[in-house]
Amino acid sequence: MSIFRKRKQTTTANLTSDQQANVTVLRRCLVLMGLLGVVAFVVLAMQLYQVMIVDHDMYERMAINNQTRSTPVSASRGTIYDRNMNVLAISASVNNVFISPNEIAQKEQDIDLIANGLAQLLDVDADNIREMAQDTSMYYKVVKRQIDESLSEQVRDFINTYELSGVYLEPDTKRYYPSSTLAAQVLGFVGSENRGLEGLEAKYDANLQGNAGKIVTTRGNSGSEMLYRFETYYEASDGDSLVTTLDSTVQYFLEKNLEQAVEQYDVQNGAFGLVMDVNTGAVLAMANLSSYDPNHYGEVYDEEVKQALAEERAQLESLSGEAYDAAYQDYLQSVNNALFAQWRNSCVSDAYEPGSTFKIITMAAALEEGVISLNDTFHCNGNIKVFGRNQPISCWKTAGHGTQTTAEALGNSCNPALATIGIALGGEKFYDYIQAFGLTSTTGIDLPGESSGVMLDESYLTEYDIYGYSSLAVAAFGQTFEITPIQLVRAISAVVNGGYLVEPYVVAEILDSNGQVVSAHETKVTNQVISEQTSDIMRELILGVVENGTAKNAKIAGYSIGGKTGTSEKVSEVDEFGVMTEDKIVSFVGICPMDDPQYICLVALDTPSRETGLYISGGQMAAPTVRNVFADILPYLGVEPDYSGEDANAMDVQVPYVTDQSLMEAETLLAQANLSYTVVGYGDTVTGQIPTAGATIPGGSAVVLYCDAEVPYDYVTVPSLTGLSSVEVNNLLTNLGLYLKIIGNTDTSYSVISTHQSVEAGTSVERGTVIEVEFTDTSLME
Amino acid sequence: MSVFSKAKKRSAMSRLPDEPQSGGPQVIISERGLIDLPFLILTLLLLLIGMVMMFSASYARAYMEEGTSSYYFVRHAGFVLGGIAIMVVVSMVNHEILRLFSFWIMALAVVLLIMVAIPGIGIKEGGARRWLYLGVGFQPSEIAKAAVVIYFAALIVKFKGKMATFRYGILPFACILGVVSILLLLEPHLSGTVIILCTGAAMLWLGGVQKRWFALLVGLVGLVVYLVIKYPDLLAEYAGARITAWLDPFSDPGDTGYQITQSLYAIGSGGLPGLGLGKSRQKYLYLPEEHNDYIFSIICEELGFIGAMVILLLFALLIIRGYWIAMRATDRFGALLAAGFTTLLALQVFFNIGVVTNFLPATGISLPFFSYGGTALLIQMAEMGVILSVSRQNKAKLK
Repeated sequence: MSIFRKRKQTTTANLTSDQQANVTVLRRCLVLMGLLGVVAFVVLAMQLYQVMIVDHDMYERMAINNQTRSTPVSASRGTIYDRNMNVLAISASVNNVFISPNEIAQKEQDIDLIANGLAQLLDVDADNIREMAQDTSMYYKVVKRQIDESLSEQVRDFINTYELSGVYLEPDTKRYYPSSTLAAQVLGFVGSENRGLEGLEAKYDANLQGNAGKIVTTRGNSGSEMLYRFETYYEASDGDSLVTTLDSTVQYFLEKNLEQAVEQYDVQNGAFGLVMDVNTGAVLAMANLSSYDPNHYGEVYDEEVKQALAEERAQLESLSGEAYDAAYQDYLQSVNNALFAQWRNSCVSDAYEPGSTFKIITMAAALEEGVISLNDTFHCNGNIKVFGRNQPISCWKTAGHGTQTTAEALGNSCNPALATIGIALGGEKFYDYIQAFGLTSTTGIDLPGESSGVMLDESYLTEYDIYGYSSLAVAAFGQTFEITPIQLVRAISAVVNGGYLVEPYVVAEILDSNGQVVSAHETKVTNQVISEQTSDIMRELILGVVENGTAKNAKIAGYSIGGKTGTSEKVSEVDEFGVMTEDKIVSFVGICPMDDPQYICLVALDTPSRETGLYISGGQMAAPTVRNVFADILPYLGVEPDYSGEDANAMDVQVPYVTDQSLMEAETLLAQANLSYTVVGYGDTVTGQIPTAGATIPGGSAVVLYCDAEVPYDYVTVPSLTGLSSVEVNNLLTNLGLYLKIIGNTDTSYSVISTHQSVEAGTSVERGTVIEVEFTDTSLME
Repeated sequence: MSVFSKAKKRSAMSRLPDEPQSGGPQVIISERGLIDLPFLILTLLLLLIGMVMMFSASYARAYMEEGTSSYYFVRHAGFVLGGIAIMVVVSMVNHEILRLFSFWIMALAVVLLIMVAIPGIGIKEGGARRWLYLGVGFQPSEIAKAAVVIYFAALIVKFKGKMATFRYGILPFACILGVVSILLLLEPHLSGTVIILCTGAAMLWLGGVQKRWFALLVGLVGLVVYLVIKYPDLLAEYAGARITAWLDPFSDPGDTGYQITQSLYAIGSGGLPGLGLGKSRQKYLYLPEEHNDYIFSIICEELGFIGAMVILLLFALLIIRGYWIAMRATDRFGALLAAGFTTLLALQVFFNIGVVTNFLPATGISLPFFSYGGTALLIQMAEMGVILSVSRQNKAKLK
C-alpha cells in the first residue's frame, strides 16, 4: 500500500490538486466501469448460467408441473361378446360430479344453492356437500360417481342456469353387464381404475383396458386457457374387444337347468357345469351356482347367504367394546368369504374327486394299451380283494354285478371290474395316461386362477412293494385324487374325439377398437392320447352307459347321448368334529351326438339333500340335469334329432286342422301325423277338436274330436304327478283331457317313476295342455 | 459561482477541465459535436428489443385484464417514442444548464418526496405510498435518483479540492442522502433507497472522497447484510419475509416465495435456446409483473440463455460506453453526470436481473428500457439524453 502511494505521489507530484482530482475521477470512473460494466455482468451471467443451464431440467420440470393441467382421457374398455356377438360386458361413458371447495370459496358461490341443487339431482345428502365445501383448501371433492349421460345433462343445465363456478363433471367409464348374472364367474368384473379383477376381465385386462391417454394442457393461472396453447395429446387407445366362445343361449339353458336341479334336489353347496366343443375345446357355457351380478359385484347375491350375514350384522349391535370389534372383524371376514365364494369359478379353480366319471379314462387307457379287449369278461361279486390291502374294495352294488363284458362293466360302473382293469394296466402306464390326458397339469384355458388339481404321487401307483395295488385299484375308479372339472372334460373329450387332447379356451377372437381381428384362436391339440380306433370303441361303450347302463336317465328321444355318471365323496371335507362328512358331489358327463361327438356337458351338484327321497347319485340327479341341458341346447345348436325306431313315437307332432272334415278324412290326417283320436258326440263331421290345430303334442297321443258335441272350453286342475309310473301318469292326464310329454327315462320298468312335472300340482290349465313330466330310473344307485 | 467561471489552462495530463472553453454555461447547440453514435444505437437497440419483449410478455395479461392484447404494448410504444423524443431534445441541450438548476432540481425532488408522504396526495398502492398524480402519474423517487446525480455532480464540482475533507466531502452529501432516504423509507421504498444510496456513494467515490470512508462503508454494508441474512425478523415485516423467500424460495412457493419461484420457473425453463419468441408459458398470469419488474424472466424463458446473454452484453456495452463518455468528457460536471447516470442505469440493471434470478432478495426495481415504463422510462430516456449531451461536448473537442 505504501509503495503504491509513493508511486502515485511521484507521478502526480507536479500536478495541481485540481488536476489530481481529475485524475481521480478518471481512475475511479474506470473502477466503476470495471465493477458495474464487467464484474456485475459476469456475476449475473454466472447466476443465469446456474439457473438456465445447470438447473434447467429441475426448473423445467417444476415449471411444467406449475403450468399444466393433465386431464386424463380414459380409454374405452373393450367389449366382451358371446360367439354370436351378443354383448356380455360393455363400457359406457358416465360422469363423476365433483366440486372445487377452493373455487367455490374464492368465487363466493352460494353453497346452499349448490348443495341443495346437487342433492336433489343426484340423490345425495345436501349436508354432506356443505361439509365438503367447507374444506376450502381442496380443489377436488367427488359428490357422486358414475352418473349416466341424461343425469349429467341435468347437472350441466343446473351449472349453466345459475352460472356456477366450482361444480364440475369429469368423464369416467362404467362397466355394464347387460345379462346380469349370466356367466358371471367367467366374465369377472372390473374394479376401480378400470382394472379387471376376476374372470376374463382380469385375464384379458391388458387387452381390454387399452391405454389411457391424457391431455396435458397448459393453462394460465386461475384456470384460464392460454392464448398460445401448448397442448400435448397422448391419444388414448381403446381397449380390444373379446369375442368369446360362450353362447348366451347355451349359457342360459345351462344355468336354468342347474338352478332347477339345485331346487329340485335341494343342493346345499351349489352346482357347476360346463358345455364344451369336444373337437375344438371351445367353451360354450360355464356356470357356477350360486352366481352373482357383476354389475354389483360387491354385493352378496345369494339371498340365504345375505340373510345370514344380515343376522350376523344384527347380532353385532348387542355387543360393545372389544367383543364388538372382534365380532365385527368376524363379520367382515364372513362378508369377504361370501364374496370370494360367489366370484369363484369352480369349473377351473376347484378340484374335486371325479369318481366314476373317471372310469372312462381308465378304460380308454386299458383298451389303448391292449391289456383288455371288448371280449373280456369281469366278474363282480360285490367286492374285490387286492394285493396289499386288507379291506376288500366293495362295489356300489353290494350284491355284485356277476359276470359282465367290458362294455357292461363300464355301463354298470363296476368298481371291482375297473380295479381289475387298473391293475392290469399297471401303475406306470396308468400314471402315463393320467399325464397324457392332462390330469397332472393345468389345461391352459384362458381363465385366471386355474388349478392343476391334486394328483397322487406316482410312487403310490407304482411302488407295489409298499402300497400293493391298493392305491392303483382305487385310483382306477376315480377316487383318492382330485381334478378340476375342466381337466375332466378335456380328458373325456379326448377319449371321444379321436384321441386328441385339445386346449380349452374361452376367447375366440380379439378385435381391435375398429373391429379388426387382432388375433384369432386356433384349435390347439396338445397330443393324441389314444388312437382313433380306441376312440371309436370308447364312443360305443359310453353310448352304452346311457342306453343300457347307469345313465339311462340321460336319454333324450331322437338323440344319441353318451355319458358317465359319478358320485364322489368329498374326501377333504370334514365336519366340526373332524369326522369325514357324508357330503357327496354327484356328477354326470354327457356327450352328444355319439356317432360324431360335438358337445360335452358336465354337471356337478355339490351335496344334494338327503330329504328328496331320491338316492343321491349322479345317475338320478346329474344325468337328468345334463339331459335337460341337452334337450334345450341341441335343437338350438342345430343338432338334428333322429326319430327312428322306438324314438318315433316320442317325436312331437303338430295337430292338424281337422274341424269341418268328415270323421274319415280326420282319421287319415291324424294318422299321417302319427296321432290317434277319440270321438265325443255322434255326428259324422268333426265340429271341434282339442287340442286346436297347430298345437304340439307328443306323437301317438289321442286328439279329441267333437262331432256335433259342444267343445268344452274349460280349465282343469293339474294333479300331483310325482312318484308314479308313466302309465299311471298318462292315465291321470288323459282322463283330465291333458297330454303327457315324457322327459327322460322312457322305460316302462317299475323303477322308473316321475320325479318332476313342468306344471305345478294345483295349477289350472286349459284342456288339451301338454304337461311335461320327468321320469327317472330310481334303481340306478351307483 | 465564481468557481465555475474561473478560466483554466488545459493541462496535458488532464483532459477534464472544469468548464467549457467558451466560459460560463451556455446553451449553444451549434457549437457542439455529434452525439455518441454507439451509445445511441445501443440505447435504441435495447429499446427496440424491449418493445418486442414488452408485447410478448404483456399480451396475455393485457388480453385477460384489459380486453386487448396490445393494451400495454401500445402505451409502452407511446412512452418509448416520447422517451426517444425527450432523449433527442435533451441531448441537444447543453448539460451545463443542469448545473444552474441543480439545487432546484434537488429541492423539487425533496418537495415531491414530502408530498408523496402526505396521505391523500401520495397514492398508496400495495402497501406503499410511492406515486404522485400531478397531471401524470410518476414516482418522485425516480426524480430523486436523477436529482441526486445532478446535485451531487454540481456540489462535487463546487467543492473540488475539499472533497477529501469530512465537512465538504461527506457531511453535506450525507445530509442530503439522509433526508432523501428517510423520505423514501417512509413510503416505504427500500429498493429506491438502496439505489439512491449506491448512486450517491458512487458519486462521492468519483468526487474523490477518501477511500477509508468507502472501506468503512463496505464494512458497514457487510455487517448489515450479515445481520439481515442472519436475523431477517429485524427488518420490517415485508422486507424480512423477502429475505426469507430469497434464501429459500421454495419454502413458501404459494405466498412469500411465489414471485421468485414463478420467476425461476420462467428463467430455468428457458434453457439454452429458450421456448421461442412469444412462447412463454409463465406469462399466462403465473408470473406477476411479467411486463414490468419481471420482464427479464420472460425474456429468459422465450429467448433462452443465448438471448439473455445478448441482452446482458448490450447492457454491458452501453454501460461501458457510458463510462467511456464520462471519461472522455471535457468538463468535470459532464463527466460526473455521465458517470452518475451510467451508474444509476447499471445499478438498476444489476438489481433488477439480480432480483429476478434470485441472486438478490426481491425488491421492486424495474429493468431500464424493458419494463413497462410510464414516466420512469421518460426520466430514464432524459438521463440517456444527458449522457449523449455530454458526449457531444467531447466530440466537439475532438474536432
